[in-house]
Amino acid sequence: MNILERIRQNSLAHPDRPAVVSGDEKLTWGELEQLSTRLAAHLEQACGDNRAPVAVYGHKSPLMLVCFLACVRSGRAYCPIDISVPESRAQLILDQMDSPVVLATEELSCDCKEKELWSLEKLKSLLSQKLPPLPEAKAVSGEDTYYIIFTSGSTGTPKGVQITASCLNHYLDWSVTLGTSPEQKQGQIFLNQAPFSFDLSVMDLYTCLACGGTLFCLSKTAQADYRLLLNRLGASGAQVWVSTPSFADICLTDPAFSQKLLPHLELFLFCGETLTNRTVQKLQSRFPGAKIMNTYGPTESTVAVTQVLVDEALNSAVSPLPVGRPKLGTRLEIWREDGSPANPGEKGEIIILGDTVSSGYYKRPDLTHKAFFTCEREGKSLRGYHTGDEGYLKEGMLYYGGRLDLQIKLHGYRIELGDIESNILRLPGISRAAVIPRMSAGKVKSLAAFAVCQEPVADSFAKSQELKKRLKDYLPEYMIPKKFIFLEELPVTANGKADRQTLGNMLQPSGNPANDGSGGQALGGKG
Amino acid sequence: MRETILDILEEICEDSVVRRELDLDLFAADLMDSLGFAELLVSIEDQLGIVIAPSEVEREDVSTPNKILALVESRS
Repeated sequence: MNILERIRQNSLAHPDRPAVVSGDEKLTWGELEQLSTRLAAHLEQACGDNRAPVAVYGHKSPLMLVCFLACVRSGRAYCPIDISVPESRAQLILDQMDSPVVLATEELSCDCKEKELWSLEKLKSLLSQKLPPLPEAKAVSGEDTYYIIFTSGSTGTPKGVQITASCLNHYLDWSVTLGTSPEQKQGQIFLNQAPFSFDLSVMDLYTCLACGGTLFCLSKTAQADYRLLLNRLGASGAQVWVSTPSFADICLTDPAFSQKLLPHLELFLFCGETLTNRTVQKLQSRFPGAKIMNTYGPTESTVAVTQVLVDEALNSAVSPLPVGRPKLGTRLEIWREDGSPANPGEKGEIIILGDTVSSGYYKRPDLTHKAFFTCEREGKSLRGYHTGDEGYLKEGMLYYGGRLDLQIKLHGYRIELGDIESNILRLPGISRAAVIPRMSAGKVKSLAAFAVCQEPVADSFAKSQELKKRLKDYLPEYMIPKKFIFLEELPVTANGKADRQTLGNMLQPSGNPANDGSGGQALGGKG
Repeated sequence: MRETILDILEEICEDSVVRRELDLDLFAADLMDSLGFAELLVSIEDQLGIVIAPSEVEREDVSTPNKILALVESRS
């Protein structure tokens, strides 16, 4: 599909229907169309020949959608930065953006340098000034980058994944069919949990826009307070739920989270981390009328590329759950370490080939070259991506088996352990550091940082608190280790690297090894 | 019961400091978050049979080990 054309048609078909609801604010389809067209014209006027991607900073304001659409309608990619990103990290991203403007719907404390900051006030003033609309041909299309989403990088600098207009359109052709038919999704209310700087949000935001629906956003504040959360969920009238499994787990703790609270809910779409049988079982008993879909895919291949309906039969028969079969246009292969194809059922690296694979990392040809490639299959040239995920295919169904490197998922957040370690080493007085995940029931439960200090540590709790506080200047909250453990030296392997296996074993609570079955071993990997 | 609750807290917060500093603000110290809090209530239900729904309590009412002990004791 052509998403921008689809949005225009939807806005003409039902201009008064809400397109986005966030807290007390909302925008109708008519307003979304009018304001984004107007802002696109202002962007074109301000940027002229500069077609570089534009940073859009903020949280869940309906104006975020206006900014995103304005950028792409003016022929410029956008790069969403959520308020959860600390200033110094947002600065790293802003500094890579070559656009003369930065859009911000929330207060931005970064140094915009030579760029002009379009604050909320400025945006509102521009949105009240009419300009002739730009021709539709100006909009991004085909191989133009549509959005850039930054994700954790192993050396401590986030890397930007570029998704083209084609990738997004191909993805949407499929996502509108997930679980229920596109016709059934017409005009439905979609729940948005993830911040827009995570590509999980693309699943709700754009599937919703493609289906002429209403996006119901849950703010960070609402997600941190059970009463508020249940209240908002109850008020949402949501029909399609999109979240990480962890978020569903949080909601499930409260007995009030059930079909009674969300009587119209008919579909759960999950992505971002392992969906457990236990979570599915609880959801099935609380929401007997809803379908549950599991999906899998990295940001580098536009949100997700596989799907499977998890019904009671599958959930009771298979554990752990499969992540699904590939969408049309995607080809999955499992490669051995030497690049040769694995046999069915044999574990190897999951390789994604097809029409939603990213064009590469923004301004990082080195990283792009390592992870992306092109190849021929059945006479067609396809883009390919090394996921770094381990898995196997059985009768065409993909099963996920963990990471081959030091990337982890914590509560759905993708984190490179090296990213945290590099940032810990920026703190004064730390000479060595290794971050180790604590596992429970096959999932990462929390992170522990082992650190070697130059000076002896008298009060390890106080020191731990101090370091965590300092680290927040560089890393988002979800990347801050739960605790610091101070050692005189780090155990090392024969080749001088931190011995993650030994450190992982140190994390196991004594006398309760069963609790931590997989320890850090699963991540020993290629270190 | 007190010991059971402190065991659960130590397990979730992954730090024995929760036994020593009973007035420590667990949220402010990043030892507890929404998920940890949810887990705490699930464990209290599993191990003590006391059911507390997360939406029944304000975060402020369960921010320290002492407050959690008092809450659970009042429900038993």
